[in-house]
Amino acid sequence: MPRNKYNVDEELNESFNKAHLVRILQYVKPYKKEMTTTLVVMILSSIAGLVGPILVKNAIDVKIPGKDIFGLLELALIYLSLIVFAGFGLKYRIKKMTQVGHQMVATIRSDLFSHLQKLPFTYFDSRPHGKIIVRVVNYVNSLSNLLSSGIINFFVDLLSLVIIVIFMLLVDVKLTFIGLGTLPLLIAFIFIIKKSQRRRWQTVSAKSSNMNAYINESINGIKVTQSFNREDENQRIFDEVTDDYRMSWMKAVRVNNLFWPVVDNIANLGTTLVIVAGIYWFTGSMTIGTLIAFIGYLGSFWAPITNISNFYNQIITAMAYLERIFEMMDEDVVVRDEHDSYDLPKIEGNITFENITFSYDNDINILENLNLKAEKGESIAIVGPTGAGKTTIVNLLSRFYNINSGRILIDGHDISKVTLKSLRSQMGIMMQDSFLFSGTIMENVRYGKLDATDEEIIEACKTVKAHDFISQMKNGYHTEINEKGTRLSFGQRQLIAFARTLLKDPRILILDEATSSIDTETEKALQEGLENLLKGRTSFIIAHRLSTIKNASKIIYVDNKNIVEEGHHMQLMQRAGAYWRLFMSQYNSIKESGTIQD
Amino acid sequence: MKPYRWILDHLKVHWFKYMSGLLMALLVSFLSIVNPKLLGRIIDDVIKGENRTILLPILLIMLGVTILKSLLRYNFQVIFEKVSQDVIFEIRKRMYQKLQLLDFEFYDNTRTGDIMSRMTGDLEAVRHFVAGVIRMFFENATLFIFALIVMISINVYLTLCLVIVIPLIIFFAQKLVKDVTPTFKNIREKLSALNSVVQENIKGNRVVKAFVSEDFEKKKFHEANEAFKKANLESAHVWQKYLPVLDVLGSSLSIVVIVIGGIFVINELMTFGEFITFNSLLWAVNNPLRTLGWLLNDTQNFLARSEKIISLLESSPKIDPEKEIIKKTVYEGNVEFKDVSLKYEEEYILYDVSFKAQKGSTIALVGPTGSGKTSIINLMCRFYDATEGAILFDRYNIKNISAKQLRNNISIAMQDVFLFSDTIENNIAFGVPNISTEQIIEAAKIAKAHDFITKLPQGYKTIIGEQGVGLSGGQKQRVSLARAIIKNTPIMILDDTTSALDTETEYEIQKSLKQLYTEKTVFIISHRISSVKDADLILVLDNGKIIERGTHQELLDHNGYYAHVFINQMGNFNDEEEARYAKE
Repeated sequence: MPRNKYNVDEELNESFNKAHLVRILQYVKPYKKEMTTTLVVMILSSIAGLVGPILVKNAIDVKIPGKDIFGLLELALIYLSLIVFAGFGLKYRIKKMTQVGHQMVATIRSDLFSHLQKLPFTYFDSRPHGKIIVRVVNYVNSLSNLLSSGIINFFVDLLSLVIIVIFMLLVDVKLTFIGLGTLPLLIAFIFIIKKSQRRRWQTVSAKSSNMNAYINESINGIKVTQSFNREDENQRIFDEVTDDYRMSWMKAVRVNNLFWPVVDNIANLGTTLVIVAGIYWFTGSMTIGTLIAFIGYLGSFWAPITNISNFYNQIITAMAYLERIFEMMDEDVVVRDEHDSYDLPKIEGNITFENITFSYDNDINILENLNLKAEKGESIAIVGPTGAGKTTIVNLLSRFYNINSGRILIDGHDISKVTLKSLRSQMGIMMQDSFLFSGTIMENVRYGKLDATDEEIIEACKTVKAHDFISQMKNGYHTEINEKGTRLSFGQRQLIAFARTLLKDPRILILDEATSSIDTETEKALQEGLENLLKGRTSFIIAHRLSTIKNASKIIYVDNKNIVEEGHHMQLMQRAGAYWRLFMSQYNSIKESGTIQD
Repeated sequence: MKPYRWILDHLKVHWFKYMSGLLMALLVSFLSIVNPKLLGRIIDDVIKGENRTILLPILLIMLGVTILKSLLRYNFQVIFEKVSQDVIFEIRKRMYQKLQLLDFEFYDNTRTGDIMSRMTGDLEAVRHFVAGVIRMFFENATLFIFALIVMISINVYLTLCLVIVIPLIIFFAQKLVKDVTPTFKNIREKLSALNSVVQENIKGNRVVKAFVSEDFEKKKFHEANEAFKKANLESAHVWQKYLPVLDVLGSSLSIVVIVIGGIFVINELMTFGEFITFNSLLWAVNNPLRTLGWLLNDTQNFLARSEKIISLLESSPKIDPEKEIIKKTVYEGNVEFKDVSLKYEEEYILYDVSFKAQKGSTIALVGPTGSGKTSIINLMCRFYDATEGAILFDRYNIKNISAKQLRNNISIAMQDVFLFSDTIENNIAFGVPNISTEQIIEAAKIAKAHDFITKLPQGYKTIIGEQGVGLSGGQKQRVSLARAIIKNTPIMILDDTTSALDTETEYEIQKSLKQLYTEKTVFIISHRISSVKDADLILVLDNGKIIERGTHQELLDHNGYYAHVFINQMGNFNDEEEARYAKE
């Protein structure tokens, strides 16, 4: 499956459906109480609002003609108290609904983030990170209003509708049917545009995600862009991507804007029919007052309908975002603890790879029928051409991916049957790209063991020979590492990542090109310190520098999906095979450099 | 004031459309009065008065008015959407342009999440303002003024009584603005922080898993999430304090009219008909005042957000990539550093670095981690400028050469390999977008990448993930190398580009690069003696100073740091072994 890139719309796994509706209601459920009370308050406020016109009518019909100033003042007082009551109602509504809305959003975002932590590498690797971020931060934000005020307003409008229809039926059943007879037209309209509307908003969400992905990556890769003078080309692509977004938005919004005109005209049509029917067909059976009252109610009917259709619009928009949110929440965790998994006891360090076959995408196998044994305390050096599968082997040991077939055993325990936490917490994994978080150096090293003391951290840094350069910095261990990591050189970052790994005091140590960017002098000094640490622990070291590999307990040469040579340095040299060739080429290249004159 | 002027500047281009949109909105507001009036006439004349002849004309007019209203409304809504989209399209474009110009110092000190917020959420506030708020202000204002005028023409005194409420409303409106503005700024900060936490977590997802720190990450996230929520609630707290007050004040106008208007009528200072008309106009005065609070809210939000956008648009990079004094475009490749020092955040990274590189020569930089090797490269590409001293390209001071021009003459394979989520061929052709496939393959062959690429299922069209995921470390390095090779420039920089490669492959690459070397000035940074031994000049750096310089043999003879390293790297092998195991 090809990876997704910035200008490729992501395919949607599952369109919004009833199951999604149920799920979103699950998020609303905890706030049932608040929403019900707010609903009651709003209904009371609406009623208070309805009383207003009655008071005015009374003033016009009774108090003023009757020159009853005190009566007028009485009315005014009642009106004032109603307005103040409605004011308090508004206050209550704002307070409760913003609380509910923001809390709901925070919960959804939190669930999304938690699930994200479980997702496998392949999820992060197969799409631009910007698309993931936009879901967690932006998409969720857009739901706040809808889920709180939106739902409440919907119920208030619905209730108003029901009440008005009841009133209308009480007045005259036939007229009611005629007046509401145009409603099916609205429903037909919704039916016709529904699909197209949904699709257009889905496109908007996809294009917005593309745009964000491109911006995010542009920011991350700005150094490369500026080095290669690629600004103009990037701008061109950016304009394309943002234009796509703009056009998709306009397309979607044009459909949304149809609602108001349609409702307006349908309402007008209904009113017209009622007037005509009332005048021409029902003259005998109906009083004038009835007709007039009915027309009034009809007017009140269509206002909530307009509101509800706005709400409908909002829902269609939100659904496009919800689909993506739920899609991420439903994303398969792939590498997970089975329900019967148990904690891996304290690792001794005997590791067995049994007939391992693995491929990333179910495409071509990276490793086939690989077998490997490591005894406790052994250091295993893994060498071979790049891309042969060295990193893959250690990734599998850490259970970052599931094996296609075979088993990996640690002290006889199948690692797929133990909890991930118990497995990885006992391993120290240093990967090729040593990512550091923004924060101080101290905080970054502490990431390896959150409850480590400052002394422990300094000790770890001393072991990796980082202590010196850190102490020389103005703020020492409290130096802030910025997001781009430019306060430190690449090698220095590697050393800090190394310290972080060692701080964990792991039973199994995995070092993937851990010192490739460090000068050989520092590395030599580092190794001396490391040797002590490694005593009794099993370690896997991937490196190209023979100084690093030579003293390993066992060296394995990986090529062609398997281990082609295995043994310690002398054995492999005697074989005069692939390892020997590697060794000799390094040797020759340095030998050619001449000798030192004494 | 500034954001208003700024947004007006952007609207100026669309002023005709926008104005017509506003007029249409106004027209629709007035037309909204027509149908109720006609309905009134139907009730009075046709139903009560039993005059049926005017029924059909009136119904037709109502139909026509509704259709006209619909057309106008649809039109102006689309206009406002379009204009707002065009405006933010333009703004976003300029922001991106600016981002590409800004220098490393900016990026060192700015978090990605903050920049993302400016280009997404902040722009959204601007869009909302242009598409909705301005129009509503305009509609409500005109409605309000018109209604007031009509009211004045009916009865000045009653109108005056209404107007007395207005200062009260303004008072509370001002308090609302004063209290709400800092909350919007706070929301913005917290959103940016949330963005950053999520960013880092996703970028470092491998580290998170390796260190089983999911719970720690969730804790970090929870803090940022809650802070954001709290910031929103603080803002809402201000709303619930003032909006109801404004609402009540707005609605209270009805009471004023009933009481005072009623008294006037009773005392025959005003006719009953006038009173009724006054009453029927109340909504046009009422609603605007009640909406005022919400509009002010949105406006404050717009002001807070647009400030962020404007500040980005107004930042200038210290190193302006386009400013140039020297017009020369092609350089021969002579590089000289004269007493160059670099101070970064009050610490000296480089001291008094001087050397000369003739065109066509190869210069190697070696030294312990953190000694300043990459900093020299950064200076050459003008990602930073030297604090003291001068760097010359072909005897021109590079400070007088535009950074863009400079970089046109340099191709660089960086230590920290960054590849884009795009096809391999697009990545290789990154610096030269319209290059031919043959040349891409050629460069890949020199970088010894062609073989592994063709073995991939989609070959050159394989899409690699964000930051080069999907390729092994060594493969990434080779793609990055091909990217640098394909750009034919007089100066080439290879910063530790073979650290993840085995010596054999490295040796082959060096062989194939040799041809290029003779025509170019090449800078190589490496830790392996084997990579640097053939250089014309080797510079040994330590703590920002050049401590040794010379050819490989000269340095061996010098018996200093370099020789020491050589012995160590050499000492991994000894002659006995060679004798015992060497075949052939």
